[in-house]
Amino acid sequence: MSNIKEIKNELLKDSYYEIDHSSGFKIFVYPKENYSSTYAIFGTKYGSIDTCFKKEGEKDFTEVPEGIAHFLEHKLFESEELDAFARYAKTGASANAYTSFDKTCYLFQCSGNFEDSLEILLDFVSNPYFTEQTVQKEQGIIGQEIRMYEDEPGWESLFVLLRAMYHNHPVRIDIAGTVESISHITADLLYECYDTFYNPANMALAVAGNVTVEQVLKIADKMLKPKTSKKVERKFQVEPENVVKDYDERHLSVAMPIFAIGFKENVKTPERTLKESMESGILLDIIAGPTSSLYEELLKDNLINTTFDTEYFEGYGYSAHIFNGESKDPVAVRERINAEITRVMNDGVDREAFQRIKKKHYGSLIMDFDSIDSISNSLISAYFNNEGLYDQLKLLESITAEDIDSRLKNAFNIENSSMSVIK
Amino acid sequence: MSSKSYTEIAKGVKLLCINSNKFKTNCIKVDFYLPINEQFPALNVLASLMGHTSKRYNTVKTFNSKVEGMYDACFDVSIATIGEKARMRFSMEVLDDKFTLDGNLISEEAVDFLVDILKNPNCDENGFDEEFTAREIRFTLENIEALKNDKRSYAVTRLRQLMCKDEPYGIDYEKLENDVKMLDSKALLTAYKKMLTDSTVVITACGSIDGEMLTNKFKDFVQNIENRNPQKLETIFITKADEIRYFTEEMEVNQAKLVIGLRAGMNDANDDYFAYRVMTDIFGGGPYSRLFLNVREKMSLCYYCGARLVREKGIILIQSGIEEENYEKAVNEIFNQLDVMKNGEFTDEDFNSSIIALSDAFKGVEDSPVAVCNFYSSQDFDEEIVSGPEFAEKISQVTREQVIEVAKKVSIDSVYLLKGEGAENE
Repeated sequence: MSNIKEIKNELLKDSYYEIDHSSGFKIFVYPKENYSSTYAIFGTKYGSIDTCFKKEGEKDFTEVPEGIAHFLEHKLFESEELDAFARYAKTGASANAYTSFDKTCYLFQCSGNFEDSLEILLDFVSNPYFTEQTVQKEQGIIGQEIRMYEDEPGWESLFVLLRAMYHNHPVRIDIAGTVESISHITADLLYECYDTFYNPANMALAVAGNVTVEQVLKIADKMLKPKTSKKVERKFQVEPENVVKDYDERHLSVAMPIFAIGFKENVKTPERTLKESMESGILLDIIAGPTSSLYEELLKDNLINTTFDTEYFEGYGYSAHIFNGESKDPVAVRERINAEITRVMNDGVDREAFQRIKKKHYGSLIMDFDSIDSISNSLISAYFNNEGLYDQLKLLESITAEDIDSRLKNAFNIENSSMSVIK
Repeated sequence: MSSKSYTEIAKGVKLLCINSNKFKTNCIKVDFYLPINEQFPALNVLASLMGHTSKRYNTVKTFNSKVEGMYDACFDVSIATIGEKARMRFSMEVLDDKFTLDGNLISEEAVDFLVDILKNPNCDENGFDEEFTAREIRFTLENIEALKNDKRSYAVTRLRQLMCKDEPYGIDYEKLENDVKMLDSKALLTAYKKMLTDSTVVITACGSIDGEMLTNKFKDFVQNIENRNPQKLETIFITKADEIRYFTEEMEVNQAKLVIGLRAGMNDANDDYFAYRVMTDIFGGGPYSRLFLNVREKMSLCYYCGARLVREKGIILIQSGIEEENYEKAVNEIFNQLDVMKNGEFTDEDFNSSIIALSDAFKGVEDSPVAVCNFYSSQDFDEEIVSGPEFAEKISQVTREQVIEVAKKVSIDSVYLLKGEGAENE
């Protein structure tokens, strides 16, 4: 029997169901009244950073080629008979998948034939089928995907930055790997990774939209067979506090230099708390958001344009505050950002700005609940981070300006920052 | 028949409010349609400027603080070409009133803000604010130059320019850049006035927003615009290409970008539209399409290869990223797949997959306020407004014969390749 728990939120007037399925898998169902479509996502906490791991009971760590999680994502769509895309073509669902630094997710959206499409999703993700021949065919396709990213300056600037900041952490490698690294991928290695990460302890299913718990359970009961959960130990090299390089650049044909500046946080534990992440978001808005003095002055002085943006970038074992944009003089932008960080560290964050930005974050949290795509993806992320979907709303209220001041002091060290420039 | 209809609130101004209680957001889009003419360069700058400042909020900080203070309202002004119409779009997404912490009626505040932006821009009788004019001209120029940063879309821009050289659709960005450089604050004021008088305006809203409030506020604004004289909006539809033109350009790229432009054979945006939509989808839509299955899956030539119909201009664009050495192989296979469409050699399975996928997507199109607004505003110039499910129904009525019939009208106009510099010498 599956254990079902309803989780309500009074403010949103919404609720969702958290199910401990008899197969061992975690399932979330978020019905949305009067919606016509449904979005389902089946994910594993396994991404590009998981290149060295050890299964419970094993003695040695296994090291696998860079880009293998993404390669596996591509290959899982294939089966001995019809591939998953051909099967979805009969139900009409729009299907996709993605691999990030720390997870791989398979998804579809549909407005009809939901149960059939869910059956396909659970089936193909549960039944791998790889041969040397199909692996080889994929090397050509993924090779072109890698080549496509090589022409995208924003993407390149992020990875040049990550390699400038991180000595050992695998976040510095490309999600899809390199043409060279994927040439070492074999069917056996794919089975090995599948076996390690695709089991109940490491996976979850989330469905939102025009759906009921009964519909999901009907298919889950049929398709999800009890499977032994495996504990995985991830190996991360010790990451020094300092950055590799203060500055690095790469040449691509661009109109104006594209920069990214990252402040590497010295992390003592692998994961940040949800509160710390939220504080970081508010902090970046206060320092350099669209209502900050820094933003206005950089615009006035012709140092940035409206592509300027910030991002809090974190995952297992890494955390950085990133500022990016286009500038004819990225070095000058960096100096101004450093000066502003120092000033705010001394003066504390502006209390009025803090209140306004908190309100902004409140608004954007609520508006996200209109999107079944956003709800389903957030359910998966929250679960992998041991959080509840509504935790952010509860936490936001408790965050104070003093919390932001101390977050700034703890997370930023101007000495431990890097800049990448694409020009 | 659809239950939805526009309200004409002034000459050439119509409004559609889709009420729905299921969302936590309200979305409003105000679209000004104008011909692509000599005002186009100034409209590009104006769109950027009006999205960043107004008379009341005349600094970046006060303007953005106002927007941020409305619970992260998402306000944006953009310019796009829809066929040969220029569309200035003022859009606003704002939290629903029932979620504000202080009980504020934020949707009304957002409408007031939107009207104020439109009515009272940052200018006096001589022109726009000089400092903002200079800055926004800089942004616009940087934007135009940045087109080449994204090689995929740059290749599409070039194909469009080369293929439609003698049509307003083929925007010449070099000329646009030079024209923008010549602009001043006075020229922006002229463009602003033209935007108010010469445009056809469509306002689309979705959410639980009070439709009467919205209508009254916009009525009050548009009815007081003097000398309204909406200009005729026309798009040239060339139904057949005489011969295939080939273009190759060089740039520093790692992967060659291939773009092929087809003339669909449509006489106007509604000419066999649903059959064309299905045909293009079987040819190069989803992962069940001929291009995906053959150029990518069978031949491993690329990661992406797809086709899309530009309904408002009657053209079809095919895009792929390939190794330069595979250029001929890829082009031949794309042409070959087009012949498959024309000869009706696609399978019933190909046809059914497309019908079911497209119908499914349109049935579910009304599940976010932004999607609702976008879906209905794509019908701004249609006589009858159809809902998502009605649209799906029209798709499912398309027959295999109709698909073959429209495919036969398609002709190849231009083939464009953006390849690495000096690559042939290596």
